[in-house]
Amino acid sequence: MKRVLAATVVLLLGATTSADAHQLDEYVQASKIAVARDLVRVELRLTPGVRVLPRVLGVIDTDRDGVIAPAEQRAYADRVRSDLTLAVDGRPLTLRLVALAFPDLADMQEGLGEIRMDFEAVVPAGRGDRRLTFENHHLGDVAVYLANALVPEDSAIHLGAQRRSWEQSSFVLDYSQTSMVRLGMRHIAEGTDHLLFLLVLLLPAPLVAAGRRWDGYAGARRSTTRLLRIVSAFTVGHSLTLAAAAGGWVRAPSGVVEVLIAISILVSAVHAIRPVFPGREALVAAGFGLVHGCAFATTIVGYGIDPWHTVLTVLGFNVGIELMQVAILVVTVPWLLSLARRPVYAPLRVAGAAAASVAALGWIGERAFGLANPVGPVVDAAASHGPLLVAALASVALLVESRVRFVSRIQPFVTRR
Amino acid sequence: MMRQAMRGLLLASLAMLCAPRAAVQAQSPTARIVRDANAFLATLQPAQKQRVLFAFDDDKQRARWSNLPTRFVARAGLSMGELTPAQRTAVMTMLASALSPRGFEKVQQIVEGDEVLKKQEHDNPMFGKDLFYVSILGAPSETAPWMLQFGGHHLALNITIVGAHGVLTPSLTAAQPARYEENGKIVRPLGAESDKAFALLNSLDSAQRAQAILNYRVADLVLGPGQDGKTIQPEGLKATAMNAKQRAMLLDLIAEWSGIVHESAAAARMAELRAGLDDTWFAWSGSTTHAEGRSGTAYYRIQGPALVIEYAPQPLGGDPTNHIHTIYRDPTNDYGRKLTSK
Repeated sequence: MKRVLAATVVLLLGATTSADAHQLDEYVQASKIAVARDLVRVELRLTPGVRVLPRVLGVIDTDRDGVIAPAEQRAYADRVRSDLTLAVDGRPLTLRLVALAFPDLADMQEGLGEIRMDFEAVVPAGRGDRRLTFENHHLGDVAVYLANALVPEDSAIHLGAQRRSWEQSSFVLDYSQTSMVRLGMRHIAEGTDHLLFLLVLLLPAPLVAAGRRWDGYAGARRSTTRLLRIVSAFTVGHSLTLAAAAGGWVRAPSGVVEVLIAISILVSAVHAIRPVFPGREALVAAGFGLVHGCAFATTIVGYGIDPWHTVLTVLGFNVGIELMQVAILVVTVPWLLSLARRPVYAPLRVAGAAAASVAALGWIGERAFGLANPVGPVVDAAASHGPLLVAALASVALLVESRVRFVSRIQPFVTRR
Repeated sequence: MMRQAMRGLLLASLAMLCAPRAAVQAQSPTARIVRDANAFLATLQPAQKQRVLFAFDDDKQRARWSNLPTRFVARAGLSMGELTPAQRTAVMTMLASALSPRGFEKVQQIVEGDEVLKKQEHDNPMFGKDLFYVSILGAPSETAPWMLQFGGHHLALNITIVGAHGVLTPSLTAAQPARYEENGKIVRPLGAESDKAFALLNSLDSAQRAQAILNYRVADLVLGPGQDGKTIQPEGLKATAMNAKQRAMLLDLIAEWSGIVHESAAAARMAELRAGLDDTWFAWSGSTTHAEGRSGTAYYRIQGPALVIEYAPQPLGGDPTNHIHTIYRDPTNDYGRKLTSK
């Protein structure tokens, strides 16, 4: 009898001391909320303390056989899900279980088992400022809630104020997201290599090829038609691969794509110095457009979580790209056309193409062979002063024009022949 | 002959005077840690050595740490309890080399605290200083990256050494009891972490406090063990809204964690934290008062571009002032990733 009593005392002591080592009478439920463009992920970590385990197990192990069967795991995840609410801009979203892991029952009995549940919800398309609300009311009588927003991986998402109820069962997060159109515009404005390719390809567009040399001005109408054809072909090319890659039909290794883009600049720069593919510029623009489209796609991969989102995303992003492209053409092409009529265009064109070649070579060395790129910083610095470059181009064009006008005006007074 | 002997003697004594001093001066902190790590490894039997060494890129071993007792989260490596006194001394010498004097003292006080807990709990075999584990990932080197781990219940030190760099993140310091008596003296392993935080809180004006104090309860560490690689949105009072004195107090509070590692690594880390100070946030949740000589019951968090510190008192044992968990992270450089990737 005495021995039994002693054993019981030891058992009881063991039980209490072991219980004293960690969270006792609380069911810690930590939610981390990751906001993406059209998806919200809720990572839930549930740790029942030993003293509340019977209560929690009563909900999980419904047939009371001491085993948490897979069906019971799924049923419990469903129960938890029904105790959660997630909404964006007041619209309730459907949470979908994407990951589920249960610890061993033995670990849970020691009070350290962590149940992991990850949920995802599709966020309807929207724009600008958004408000997310998340509530967790699972086993509120024993729960200790934690709710936090994770710093978004997508730089187009900006988190604002967070508000919570005292016990953190209710969580409100304000955030804003940059529109796809704006992202597309930014991508071109900051994508020096895309810009450079397009501009260099346009350099010889107003000229007539005479054998292996560029000859004189092709005329305003012909030049404009050609420019439009080249730009449209480039647009068709990159739109095709952008859509294909975003839809998941094409996957190009980004390393190869980056090298090909640098090569595309080199090819069009050589062509601007000496005609390599006269008359087939549009075809080449379309071909290299396919390559550039693959690079555009890397920005938006993972955005489209269903066909509808993908279409909206690609459309918005592409509209942004085209808008920026058109804006850049509008501010540069008139000056190019104006200069192309004058003899000074030849040295300007060659100098521009040579500079682009050097930049392209730097990128090729860097991207294909991992070499240090000494011209990279120079190119980036120049690109960051875009408006200044356009202003310089405009001043040169105006200067040349006024000089020509001046010379033609004084021509009658100058007798020299 | 005589003159030659005299000259020899003179040279020899000069050499004896200079040599040790030169050797001490030439020894970089990393060289010192490598020397002491190799000295520890030399004391081990082949079978022990096999258990203490892991590959540097062993991600599982890297993340095998916790605030929980070793019975619940099994640690790998060698436990202090299975080492000879000489081997234990070698471990402590190695730790003392890798840490600052105060950092080493803090670690010893946490370990001693677990021994006190063991005694308070009637010799509970779950606790005690024998249950702290040491492990080495990679080979001790002055150039190639390697890692030294030491921890158990309420302690996890992950020290990544890459050349002259010494990275302490992620590390966990905790204490229960948070206040105990040893040789007639009161020991509070994490006392300064509470006292300095209250000093900073009390220096804030009402507008600053309104921002710093969160209007919700935080019951536990948010980025504790198992949460590697997560970065939460910061909250609270930004250091740009603090005056120079408060900013200095904040840095001084941070130093309770960043200063655990040896001085030159701690100085480099402090320079980095100072550079990111403008984007560093201080958030508080819970009671704003504490009993004299005792730690508080409030949770607080310090978060910057390269920093997460959380201080979370635990209700366990009935007295949150006596049971504290803290975590120290660098989301950009946990386990020295910034230095070793590429």
